[in-house]
Amino acid sequence: MPTFHKSDIARSQLETAVDIFLKGLSYHSVITLAGAASGILDGLLLAASKEPFIDYARRVHAELQGQMPGRVKTAHYIEQRFGISAHKHLHETDTETVELDLERQAANALTKAIGDYIELNGQEEPFVKAFLQWSWVTMDGQALMKKYAEVPPKMRPKTE
Amino acid sequence: MTTKTYTRLQLAADQLRAAVSLFIAGRDRFSVITLAGAADVILSRLVLNSGQENFTDDIIKREALRTGIERPRQEVGKAVNDMLLINALKHFDKGEDGIVEIDDLEECALAAILKAMANYVVLAGKKEDWVKVLFFWIKQNPDLKKYCDPNCIEPKPEAEPQTNIPVTPPSGSNPPRT
Repeated sequence: MPTFHKSDIARSQLETAVDIFLKGLSYHSVITLAGAASGILDGLLLAASKEPFIDYARRVHAELQGQMPGRVKTAHYIEQRFGISAHKHLHETDTETVELDLERQAANALTKAIGDYIELNGQEEPFVKAFLQWSWVTMDGQALMKKYAEVPPKMRPKTE
Repeated sequence: MTTKTYTRLQLAADQLRAAVSLFIAGRDRFSVITLAGAADVILSRLVLNSGQENFTDDIIKREALRTGIERPRQEVGKAVNDMLLINALKHFDKGEDGIVEIDDLEECALAAILKAMANYVVLAGKKEDWVKVLFFWIKQNPDLKKYCDPNCIEPKPEAEPQTNIPVTPPSGSNPPRT
């Protein structure tokens, strides 16, 4: 029986998500694909003893607020903030409509997933470079890097 | 970038439309399954909320006709999602090896779409172009026979219980709820 590794599956999902995002075809789909890829990449990073986005976010929160939030709670919070939950869950008691800032949430979901992907695989693949280029141009990369230079070492990713 | 209000059906329909488009265009099958699976979670609940039975309920009924046992909706839903790899494509559990075995990726992708489409059609009909495209593709696809169960007997309304009815999508030459 043919076999696939989940790292390749996450790459395929992410590559498709970046393509759909840059073409502006379906931000709904970008959110779901980035969310699914993140679910795999998070586990792969933990297995490789590296720091996923979720744990980095928890560490930053602990530095700012003085306490470390739980991992599951943080993951759910991020999925809600990025619109991922609304695109894959629906309970009997949920509202009939949902408020979304689709393009921003799609960009955020992709940024999280691409960050985790780079942590595992580097940033040389064309779809990664394409999204990083989009981010640099649309989010004023130079200004962001100036701000980042002031971030204390304890609040930076562990890869540095 | 602004906040807008979306119905749950819009969220599901857009994802299913993307899944159909990627499938017809021969693009990544993992993304097709992921999108159709996410859409179907929403659609299945919306069908129930509308007071109708969803595709999983159909499977339960067909299986009960054959075996006399009516399994819970949650159990059957999970079994179908596991069969279609929907859960495997969005999680990596601690201690697992990350290997996914897939007998026929193409079949999984089509089945994931058909399951979601069955629920979508109940809610919104077949008037959208992207829905018509899928059903046109199904009619034109010469390989579709490979999905047919030669023993398949489509149940008629009010008919006596029958045997040899497949319990998994796609169900032979008759796409569900068309």
